[in-house]
Order: sequence, then C-alpha cells, then structure tokens
Amino acid sequence: MASASSALASFTFSSPHFMGHKVSIKEPSSMPARVHFRQLRVSAACASTAERPVSHIACPSSLYEVLGIQMGATGKEIKAAYRRLARVLHPDVSANCRNDAAANEFIKVHEAYSTLSDPEKRADYDRTLLFRPRRSFSVSVESMAGPTSSGFSGYSKRTWETDQCW
Amino acid sequence: MAEPAYTVASDSETTGEEKSSSAFPEIAIGIDIGTSQCSVAVWNGSQVELLKNTRNQKLMRSYVTFKDDIPSGGVSYQLSHEHEMLSGAVIFNMKRLIGRVDTDPVVHSSKSLPFLVQTLDIGVRPFIAALVNNVWRSTTPEEVLAIFLVELRVMAESQLKRPIRNVVLSIPVSFSRFQLTRIERACAMAGLHVLRLMPEPTAVALLYAQQQQQMIHDNMGSGSEKIALIFNMGAGYCDAAVTATAGGVSQIKALAGIATGGEDFLQNMMRHLLPNFDNLFSSRGINEIKSMGLLRVATQDAIHKLSFEESVQIDVDLGNGLRICKQVSREEFEGVNQKIFEKCESLIIQCLHDAKVEADDLTDVIVVGGCSHIPKIKNLVKSVCKRELYKGMNPLEAAVCGTALEGAVASGISDPFGNLDLLTIQATPLGIGIRANGNSFVPIIPRNTTMPARKELVFTTINDNQTEVLIIVHEGETEKADENHLLGYFKISGIPPAPKGVPEINVCMDINASNVLRVLAGVIMPGSQQPVVPVMEVRMPTVDDGHGWCAEALHRAYGSTLDLMTVQKK
Repeated sequence: MASASSALASFTFSSPHFMGHKVSIKEPSSMPARVHFRQLRVSAACASTAERPVSHIACPSSLYEVLGIQMGATGKEIKAAYRRLARVLHPDVSANCRNDAAANEFIKVHEAYSTLSDPEKRADYDRTLLFRPRRSFSVSVESMAGPTSSGFSGYSKRTWETDQCW
Repeated sequence: MAEPAYTVASDSETTGEEKSSSAFPEIAIGIDIGTSQCSVAVWNGSQVELLKNTRNQKLMRSYVTFKDDIPSGGVSYQLSHEHEMLSGAVIFNMKRLIGRVDTDPVVHSSKSLPFLVQTLDIGVRPFIAALVNNVWRSTTPEEVLAIFLVELRVMAESQLKRPIRNVVLSIPVSFSRFQLTRIERACAMAGLHVLRLMPEPTAVALLYAQQQQQMIHDNMGSGSEKIALIFNMGAGYCDAAVTATAGGVSQIKALAGIATGGEDFLQNMMRHLLPNFDNLFSSRGINEIKSMGLLRVATQDAIHKLSFEESVQIDVDLGNGLRICKQVSREEFEGVNQKIFEKCESLIIQCLHDAKVEADDLTDVIVVGGCSHIPKIKNLVKSVCKRELYKGMNPLEAAVCGTALEGAVASGISDPFGNLDLLTIQATPLGIGIRANGNSFVPIIPRNTTMPARKELVFTTINDNQTEVLIIVHEGETEKADENHLLGYFKISGIPPAPKGVPEINVCMDINASNVLRVLAGVIMPGSQQPVVPVMEVRMPTVDDGHGWCAEALHRAYGSTLDLMTVQKK
C-alpha cells in the first residue's frame, strides 16, 4: 500500500518537478505562471521526504546541490560526486533501507548528473540558473524542509566507509 | 529431499524484494543458463567459486532428455555418446525458444533441431516435443528450463549444504520483458526466487569492475575511470555493452543485443555442406533425425577445429547412401557466415555510438562467450575497437562469476577486504513506450536509460468528446508500434467530454532497481491540478500467451476511436 501511495505522489509531484526544469529552459517567459505551481509540488514532495527514513536530499534548489558540489565543479568532480552518491543511494546498496524512496533519490541524483555531465546541457542549465528569479522560492523551500536541509553541503563530506547502509 | 523438487509458485511470488529475516542473509547464487552450456557460481566468503557436478564439470551441457519416465538434464545425466543428444529424445537450445511465438524467425530456424518444433505461423507458442519410444511427447521451454534449474539447485544445495532459494540469472540483452517473465516462471517452477536478471555483458562488466578494484588495492592500477567494451557471443545470442568503471561502480552506458550466435554459424555451415538440407529432413522420421544429428555433430566438430586450423576434412556417412566428404577451409567458413560477422560488427558500432564513446576512449575490450574462440570474431572486435583484447578473464566463466558477485552484493553481503564494494548501475536494453499518433511507437523510457528510472509524457485525445483512451504499451526499437513487443494494455474511462486535444493524459513509466515496470496513467483537465479520474497503475507485462494477437484484435474492435496522440511541445 505504501508503495502505491508513494507512486501516486511521485506521479503527480516529483516527476513533473524535474520536467519543470526542462520546460523552463525552453520557455522562460512562462516562468511566473509556473513558479507557484512548482512550489506547490515541491512542498508536497518535501512533506513525503520528511517521512522517509533515507532522505539524504531534502529540497535542493539546484542540480549542483543535488550532487553536493560547487557550481564551478569540474567534470571529474561531477563524476566523483555522482559515484559517491550512487554508492549510498542506489537501491542495490541501501539494502537495509530498501524502498521506493531510495530509488527516487537515486533518480534525482542521476537526473542531475546526466544534465551536468553533458557540457551542452550544463551550459543551458547554468543560463537558466542565472536568469531565474528563484531566491524567494528556494528560501521558502528551505524553511518548509526545516533545519536539516541547511546542512546539505555536508554531503560532500560523507565517505563511503561511514555512510554505507549495510 | 523433504521439499518437493517441482513446485509451482504464482507469478506474483517470482519478483519483488524480500528481506531475509535471519542475521546471516542467504547469499544468492549466480546461474548462467547458456543456450548450449550452463554453470553455477557463488561467493564463498572470500571469492567467487564455480560449483562442479558429480562428474567434476564446471560447465554443463544445457539439455533435458525425456528418454526415461522422469526427465533428466545435463547436470546429473551423462550421455552415453554425443549422438544420443540427437536421438530426438533430448531437448536443447531452449534459450532460443523461450517466450517466442511461432511467427518468430528464431523459432523457424530452430526447426532444424533434432526434435519437434512445429509452427502454425499464427502468433502462438510453437509446439515442442521429444521423441520417446516413437511417440512425440510435448513439452514447453519453461518446463525444460525448470527441470534443468531443479538439477542445478539440487547440485548447489548438496555442495553448499543449505537450501537455495535466491538466484541471479544472466540473460541475453535482446530478451523482451515477456521473455523475462517466462524465465521467472521457469525459476518459480524450480522453487527459485529471482533476485536479479542480469544482461550477460553487464555481469561481465561487474567482474571487470571488481578486477579493477583489486588492482588498485594491489597498487597496480590507477583509480581513474575506465571505459570498457564487452562483446559476448554464445551459442544463441550476441550482446555488446559499454561500461564506465571507477571505484567499483560499473555504470552501464549502452547495451545492444541480437538473437544471433554459434547456432547460426552451425546452421549456415550445415546448409553449405548439404544444400538440400531442408527438403531431405522435412519429414522428420527416425532416420531423418538420425542423419540430421550426424551432420550436426560433424559440422560442429569442424567449426571447433577451424578455430585452430586453417582447414579441416569432413567425412560423415549420413545413412541412406548419403555421404559428405569435403575439405573445408577457414576462409570458406568465414565466407558462408559473412552476414553474421557483419551483424556483429554493426552491433559493436551501434553500442559505441549509443554510449557516445569513440574507439579511442576505450581502456579495455573484452570478448567472452563460446564464440570468442573464433578468430574472425576476435579480429573484427579488435579492428572496430582498435585495441588488443583484455586477457584477464576466462571467456566461458566471466558471466557466471559476475552473476555470483551480483548475488552477493544484492544479498547485502560485505567483504572485509572490500572485494564486494561493488555496484552495477543498469540501463534499459530496449525502449518502452505506448502506441500513439496512429500506429507510431512513442518511447517514454528510451533505450539505455539508467535504472531505476521514471519518465513521463503527456498525450491527448484525437476525437472531440472522446471519453475513453486505450493505453497500449510496447517494448522495442521499431517506429511502428505493432512491430514491437506488446507488454500490455488498459483503458482509461471517464474523461470529461471536451474538444480533442484538451484533456491531458499523463503516462508515467517507472522501473525500480529490481527491473519491475509499472505504468501509471492519469487525466488532468486544464485549470485543475488533480486527476479527474483515479490514476491507473498497472504492473507490466500483463500479456500472456498469444500476445501477438491482442494488438490486432484491439484494432479490429475499436479502430481509432480510443486512440491518443502526443502533445506538441510549444
């Protein structure tokens, strides 16, 4: 039952959230109309994330935060961050906490990686970051997610040895 | 054994995650069921070990003989002579037949096997039977595989001295999801629970990832990313994969596979040696089967020799005054099979292209499988990849070792020396999508998408006031929907009447790490954010037998009244 409800949540919320990025790349003019929309979706995703036992990613406001890296990260750093996260979040390794949440988080990490590891897609994405009036949005997201999300940059400090789930 | 050897579980029991309740989780064993040979391996606590049968064999022939009352397979049964395999009572090559319908060209090419493969060419299961005391006794590929798997299980249980339930199996890249359900069914019949079905080259990729990790531990290699092309060709199938490996993580960048293998070399050669092969053996009496068997053994033997010799003498008496006495050169063999070699070459090129990798980017090129001994195969891979071949693997054992590693990792086993700090990030071998815009196949999860995956697309109605749509799910790479594998279909009803193109029909596909596919579909009307009818969630594949018919029948019954189309991106 739990899987059915989370599937429904993901169907209506988290997946369009990522599609939203792509849409906004192509039509920045439609952004204002969409911001409110996305905010709603993100808040719903946050609510369900908070209940998850393996929520490593709270509500990052950029793909760089998803991977826990700086905006100027090199291709190598992006790959390394992706691998490090895969070894923690991939449902195959998180054997003790194996559930749909782990898969969802891995999907997010992979989405971020596939955009940032492709130079063209990354350049497109960086442009949208610059032109997007997102400050108020991300603040509200962080406040909704509570104090835990502020420690998000701590991601990069995680090591494989200490953070494995098994 | 207290437990019955032959238990049939329901489909729902065959997949999904199960947690072991004991403190020591059961280590899943790895099984490589090849078209011609199979093997079992397990993580023994420090390394992967191949299990041997009572005759001390690590590689066992994949066949089941129906000679006696109780069928027996190649694990326990010893053929008195190679020709016994070709008496009509022995069924083999089941991996080529499982989950295929009688219109499939692969099924048709199996009609030259020395048992009965009958096709009616209407899109149903072929009729398969073994000749026992001059009676054709019918069976199914699932049954043959299950008998064989039971023998493998019993062998592993007696050696490991514990019950075996969880397994990781290697499968060809080109297998459809429907074929995977048939493999799972065979496992369930044998009392086995499938933890993972691993495309063969990805199992090899995992072994490669482990080898690279060990080299770092031994201070022999660098920790940088390594990109490898893996080419695997067995008796029935041919696969390619590109993997990017670093730190024990193997990311599958691309997969490609076809149902072409050593069996095709063999058939081409048999027809080359005996041009009226099909006419001579069409009646399939005991004598014809015997002749066919003799020719098969002689040809197989010659092909093996041609891997090491430039030419070989074939001299075989097929009975009925039919005798083949011929000198065959390696060049001749290569000429007869020219098309197969070309297919292999384009498979590798396509795989590199899909992975967005140039030959120069490759660190290693790995060739495995029974056909890896054929000089032309080695040469063509070398020339496409511009590299010498990787030498650190046994070509016949690499895949099963990889499945055993995955079995240990997926069972949650860790190793103090870090030899199991491994992870395979799989990719989808075939695109999955729905039929829309007429008979077009619109992929929602494209081929080579990293798993787990979730993707969605928005569709809409094609008629004014259309209140129902059919979601027909296919898997494959062809642009025409009906040329791809059908996975299932369902109807969404209760769409509020509206002009065509207004309702948003959102189709989402989700594949979890265990490769379970769910299709979700919901309807959203403009101005609302909530679905107007409950979202449909369907686990696929739902189709059972005769699946080729369903799509046609749907079209006949409904025409285009329930069709949908893609929403044009503005």
